[in-house]
Amino acid sequence: MIKFSDVTKSFGSINALNKISFEVKSGEFVFLTGSSGAGKTTILKMILREILPDSGEVLFDDVDIVKLADKEVPRLRQQMGIVFQDFKVLPERTVSENVEVALAVSNVPDNEWDTRVHHVLKLVGLDKRAQLFPSQLSGGELQRVSLARALVINPKLILADEPTGNLDWKTAEGIMDLLEKINKEGKTIIMATHHEGIIKHGKHRIIHLDDGQVIK
Amino acid sequence: MSIHTKTAIEAIKRSPFQAISAIFVLSLTFFVATMVAVLVYSSGRALSYFETRPQIISFLKDDATPETVAGLEDKLGKDTRIKDLKYVSKEEALEIYKKATSDNPLLAELVSPSIFPASLEFSVIDLKLAETVISEVKNEAIVEQVGFTANIGGEKSLSDVVSRLKTASLYLRLGGIVFVSVLATTSFLVLLVIISMRMTTRKGEVEILSLIGATPSFVRSPIILEALIYSLVGVLIGWTFAIIFWLYASPSIISYFGQIPVIPKDALTFFGLFFIILAIELVAGITISLIGSLIAVGRSLKKIR
Repeated sequence: MIKFSDVTKSFGSINALNKISFEVKSGEFVFLTGSSGAGKTTILKMILREILPDSGEVLFDDVDIVKLADKEVPRLRQQMGIVFQDFKVLPERTVSENVEVALAVSNVPDNEWDTRVHHVLKLVGLDKRAQLFPSQLSGGELQRVSLARALVINPKLILADEPTGNLDWKTAEGIMDLLEKINKEGKTIIMATHHEGIIKHGKHRIIHLDDGQVIK
Repeated sequence: MSIHTKTAIEAIKRSPFQAISAIFVLSLTFFVATMVAVLVYSSGRALSYFETRPQIISFLKDDATPETVAGLEDKLGKDTRIKDLKYVSKEEALEIYKKATSDNPLLAELVSPSIFPASLEFSVIDLKLAETVISEVKNEAIVEQVGFTANIGGEKSLSDVVSRLKTASLYLRLGGIVFVSVLATTSFLVLLVIISMRMTTRKGEVEILSLIGATPSFVRSPIILEALIYSLVGVLIGWTFAIIFWLYASPSIISYFGQIPVIPKDALTFFGLFFIILAIELVAGITISLIGSLIAVGRSLKKIR
């Protein structure tokens, strides 16, 4: 599903990625690990085509996303669900509206919205919080809103950038259980984390990065 | 309600003072634009009235016979300097008088056709020729007196009246265009500033939307809708105040100008004129808001992406 071939990226004199190559198959759950600045977020941003590599190839379903025209980028992103460390929920919209936005962005007919939003909020355990605003939710709940928004569009791939970084251990475990459950339903997940406990939580493949290179 | 409309309305509710400023400036612009449009229409109508009405009226002596009248009519008809020649009998003159005094029928009842002179009415192809033609017609044996529309306003010659009207009309149009352009530019800039501010406050939201796959048109839509709402409300408020003014003032204006049709006297034409102005203003308002919001959003999106 995702294939990096000899990808290099520099920010000024700093080599963020140095000729890295790896592959993630459909249905896999892969941890991207490494210390801060190892290049985890850069990889996720490249998959989202937020940044472009200096050289190399990034394939998504055999399409080189580096060569995609700008106007095709939204279509690419609509096939992915993304979960951020800082949640990135829309503060002036309710929980259900935050989830609906993803459906609107993906042009899902609005007669399907209620059913899909209710289903996904129930899955993440927020069905009773649907009408609350983000300011009325805890960190763990906000992360579940972010996850619900990623899931509601039924994406091929879920990218999670340190989704447990701002959460206590118990809440983080809850989020991990949810991600495991989603993965078992066939979704591909790439999760960046440096949280040892989380990595041990599930026995998944690990792509360990150090100084912009894949170590294992 | 679509998600974009909902977002636009919520944005307006969240920043009511920005919305009030935009709507106030746009209302003022379109109020002045409506007033100027009606004034331009009125000046055009007044000019057309003076240009198209019979410019010269030669009143005939009571002893003029049909043969002598026909002779003069034939002579004037052949004169290439003269156009729109028309004979007005005593009875027709009474009808004209009745029409002119229709608000006081008693005046018409007190007179008979015999007191009105028959006349030959005509215009000249060039107003510069008017004085020469008038002096020639005055010398005709059956002509009692020659009148010309220049008498209105005490001008020395008819060409003075029309040229003064033309000058006034030109200045009104030019002044109106300049004034409305200044106001329209101000509205445009205010919209630009407000939409840019909106984009700045929505920067985080736009980034999130972009990351989850929103197309530029998805991001633009609520902002453009918001600008359209400001414009449409501004046009409607400005136009409504202007039509209320003209409805209130029109009886006095019609009475003051008498026969000169500066504003339509019948309701259908009056409202027709205002609805045409409204339609043009709606198009102008939509254009201003579309261009303003597209520029502001385009600049902000470039910075964000």
